[in-house]
Amino acid sequence: MKRKINWLVLGGVPLLALAGCGKLQNNIDVPLPTYSAELAVECYLEPGKVPSLAVTTSVPYLSTVLPQVPTDVTVTLTMPNGTPVPLTFSPNYQALIDTTGVKFHSHIGRVPLVARPGDVFTLDVRDTQGRHATSTTTMLAPVPIDSMNYKFNDKTGAEHKAYVLTNFRDPSTPDDAYRLQLHKGDPARGVLLKRPEVDNSFEDRLLNGQEFVVGTSYRFYPGDTVTATLYHTDETYFRFRKSVSDARGANGNPFAQPSAIYGNVRGGIGIFTVLSATTATKILPK
Amino acid sequence: MVAFSAARYYLLLLLLGLSWPRLAWAQELARFTISGTVRGGRGEVLPGASVAVPALNTGTAADSLGHFSLRLPAGKHQLVVAFIGYQQITRDLNLTKNQRLSFALEESGNELGEVVVEGSVTLEQKLKTTQMGVEHLSIHEAKLLPALFGEVDILKTLQLKPGVQSGGEGTSGLFVRGGSADQNLVLLDNALVYNPNHLFGLFSVFNPDAVQSVDLYKSGFPAQFGGRLSSVVDVKLREGDRQHYVATGGIGLISSRLTYEGPINKGKGSFIVSGRRTYFDIFTRALNKANEGKEDYSPIPDYYFYDLNAKANYTLGAKDQLFFTGYLGRDIFGFSSTGGFNFTFKWGNTIGTARWNHVFSPKLFVNTTASISDYQYNLTNKLDQFSFTLGSSIRDYTGRTDFEYTPNDRHLIKVGAMLTQHKFGVGRLDANSGDGRINFGADVNYYGLEGALYASDNYKASDKLQLEGGLRLTGFRSGSDQYGGLEPRASARYSLNDRTSFKLNYALMYQYVHLVTNSGATLPTDIWYPSRLSVMPQRSQQVSSGVSFLLGRGKFLLTDEVYYKWGRNQVDFKDGAQLFVNPELDAEFIFGKSWSYGNELYLEKKTGRTTGWIGYTLAWSWRNFQPQRGTTGVNNGQDFHPNYDRRHNLTVVVLHKLNARFDLTASFIYTSGNLTTLPLGRFGVQDIPGSSTGIDPRPVPIYPDRNSYRLIPYHRLDLGVVYKIGARLNQDLTLSIYNAYNRRNAYFVFFETVRDKATDRITGFRAQQVSLFPVIPSLTYNFRF
Repeated sequence: MKRKINWLVLGGVPLLALAGCGKLQNNIDVPLPTYSAELAVECYLEPGKVPSLAVTTSVPYLSTVLPQVPTDVTVTLTMPNGTPVPLTFSPNYQALIDTTGVKFHSHIGRVPLVARPGDVFTLDVRDTQGRHATSTTTMLAPVPIDSMNYKFNDKTGAEHKAYVLTNFRDPSTPDDAYRLQLHKGDPARGVLLKRPEVDNSFEDRLLNGQEFVVGTSYRFYPGDTVTATLYHTDETYFRFRKSVSDARGANGNPFAQPSAIYGNVRGGIGIFTVLSATTATKILPK
Repeated sequence: MVAFSAARYYLLLLLLGLSWPRLAWAQELARFTISGTVRGGRGEVLPGASVAVPALNTGTAADSLGHFSLRLPAGKHQLVVAFIGYQQITRDLNLTKNQRLSFALEESGNELGEVVVEGSVTLEQKLKTTQMGVEHLSIHEAKLLPALFGEVDILKTLQLKPGVQSGGEGTSGLFVRGGSADQNLVLLDNALVYNPNHLFGLFSVFNPDAVQSVDLYKSGFPAQFGGRLSSVVDVKLREGDRQHYVATGGIGLISSRLTYEGPINKGKGSFIVSGRRTYFDIFTRALNKANEGKEDYSPIPDYYFYDLNAKANYTLGAKDQLFFTGYLGRDIFGFSSTGGFNFTFKWGNTIGTARWNHVFSPKLFVNTTASISDYQYNLTNKLDQFSFTLGSSIRDYTGRTDFEYTPNDRHLIKVGAMLTQHKFGVGRLDANSGDGRINFGADVNYYGLEGALYASDNYKASDKLQLEGGLRLTGFRSGSDQYGGLEPRASARYSLNDRTSFKLNYALMYQYVHLVTNSGATLPTDIWYPSRLSVMPQRSQQVSSGVSFLLGRGKFLLTDEVYYKWGRNQVDFKDGAQLFVNPELDAEFIFGKSWSYGNELYLEKKTGRTTGWIGYTLAWSWRNFQPQRGTTGVNNGQDFHPNYDRRHNLTVVVLHKLNARFDLTASFIYTSGNLTTLPLGRFGVQDIPGSSTGIDPRPVPIYPDRNSYRLIPYHRLDLGVVYKIGARLNQDLTLSIYNAYNRRNAYFVFFETVRDKATDRITGFRAQQVSLFPVIPSLTYNFRF
């Protein structure tokens, strides 16, 4: 009896081990319930630039890839003085596939925007199916970048790199948020439209009214031109970006709690804000 | 003189004649108490051991500390002391006064080929107790069962009991009757354990070599327990061998264990020291070293955990005994890159208790305990001269005293008090650059004072009816915020006959500390937060009733329990909540209701060559969080299920003693799949100019309903063989086969983006199911010298 059991054990283990050599990730069919599409609005106003926005619709997750651009949408931007400015449907579809960094828009105005801190803008988006999205935003005062500093490490050759510190002071008002981007290269050559080297968002809840010093890793080479762009944003935009990040992060992470998208577009989904930016450039010595 | 003497004699006779019947009657009524401790032959206490006088059809069971107290009429009795797995002791007793007795039961040999579930209360005891919804688990039972990677885990063994769910594949989190994992009161020798997990929940912190027993209370909570809503997991450590110095240990697939125990001043006390450490890191370091310098070399992070348990006890005299317990456990995860990036993540519990047991009389004794419990994590990132550390902690100092009084054989009265000072290190952040250009620190700390007074009486109204009533008065203060409440507890048992009993109980519980987590699982980075400001204490109530039948001439116990539990001030968090180092963390909470109900069927067998149990649970768990605090609540205020809501849960556990050398074991589990949240829709976010090129290639998922998709049913068969070797059968090889038929259970599902390999453009989306563990055989060598 004992011998039988020994053989059972000795023979069974390798067989079972072999059985374990299958894939642990597999395609499955997931029957999703019906999903009702919403208007998705993404509008970033910038002083001195012609206002534009992208209006698309959300789609069932497993449907076609390209964004759905509705053609029956009318958009009105209301200026701080109450003047309505229609944005015409004029999509630049090329932006969906090119790599220049130019953003896709479905609707665009005609004249550059004049905006001052404190100005309130209103957006009205409606289509022929009765969907109606609205939003309001206020331009915040730009926060100047006080200084940019750098320091090289002691290494040589390709490992000789510098980090950059960007300093600015937070105003004493609470609930300020920031987005700081550092681009590398000559701004005249369009690098500010490309993917940044550093892209950080933060709030002032722990440093309200104090000096911010934001550092990078050792990632810049001698001779690099580094341009810092500091966006002073409101809490709504910060929360929108975080909810987008959390929603993306939850797909594929069993430990994450999925987040709803928190924007400021009523009747739809998305964000409407004025970009209030300051820039500073530092050229690292060779 | 003679006449006087004769008068005295007759007077005496008259007095005696008059009083004799009264003396006899008085003697018949005179009752005395026997009390003491029941231990095993190695000095270990035996909770649940029965001390009985069969002729009088009366008896009692030793409590969790091995104490018993039994009131008997004066006179001669035959006392029987028994415990499953130990040789019964029969002692003749002539009771003329209160007596203190101690018993040492020798382990029963296996010569008869009889397998027994050592350290278990008998089925008859379970039938007769007023307590329901309680599971007593002996470590012997847990050690025989097959385990993942061969790592015996008492919490995972508890998951095989009805009404207890796991959080997910392989994890040791307990979700009891619809409650969440943070609503379990996990005690180690009376000290609170804040994070009972290693390795993100894959293993529990309890080293099986050091554990004596575990009691899990799912309902009918005794009044001495409080502070959590859902369950009590009462873990008692072994006290060590009082007679001999013994070394035990084991060498497993991923860890090794070593325990040393022995007497202190022989007969006066004993000690036990037990350690365990994993050795993934030894292999991963060797692999890293072998691959260093190769193209695409990417070092595997270091990970290991260790824990150390120590306990000592010493008898100061006939009435006093001291106990000391210590626990230290750490998980360490580290990563170093050649680019100068260093990451270290450490977390763990530190626990210490000192208990003084004093016997005032055979009817009254007291345990006074002082304990400290600390849990903390620290996460450190270093990149060249920059460093960033993040951490949180909670530390408790607790004093408690528990009296147990047996005035007669009908009452068992317990009264006690406890006071805990909590220090919540809710968040700690430090960032600096080494050269002083960046130097930032912030931390958020709170204090809390939690107290409780309790009293309970277990009253044996008749042979058929037994009642237990208790009241617990609790209070909590943090800063200027104060909370309090009365927690009534009640249980009743009515025996229809020797083989059938009905039980009913009710309990109200408050929880004053809350786990801050917005993940679906318990993670080491979770933070504990006190009731303060808008964060009110959580509260739950539960009623349950059940019927138990002793079947098959006492070999089987069939229990059917139904329960309904409802709670308020249940906590969740806003989407995107700022949980770290947030001085206004209370604003991130949202509050809701919970309710759950179910039916648990349980058939168990504890004696004979084949033992085990079958459990089936049919259950529902619900939550509701209305729109509040600038949010739409959860699911727009609609009712929803937590992700561990499982409609059906079937477990079958079989232990079979083939002969003196071989034990065969199997466990099978079938449950409804976990609930998960899948996105129904998506939209694109391009972001601002200068953020990326082209339309954002990653879609943004839209999640309309929480936990609306149920994964495929989970089922798994584990097999185990324990082969005892050595002339004294003091060594064994334990083979565990986890997931024996290699079921691909779903751990989670996600939507994958499909890209064209040539252009890297997105071409579509598809659903993927990820499984965690295939079949995993493992072999462990255990010894005892």
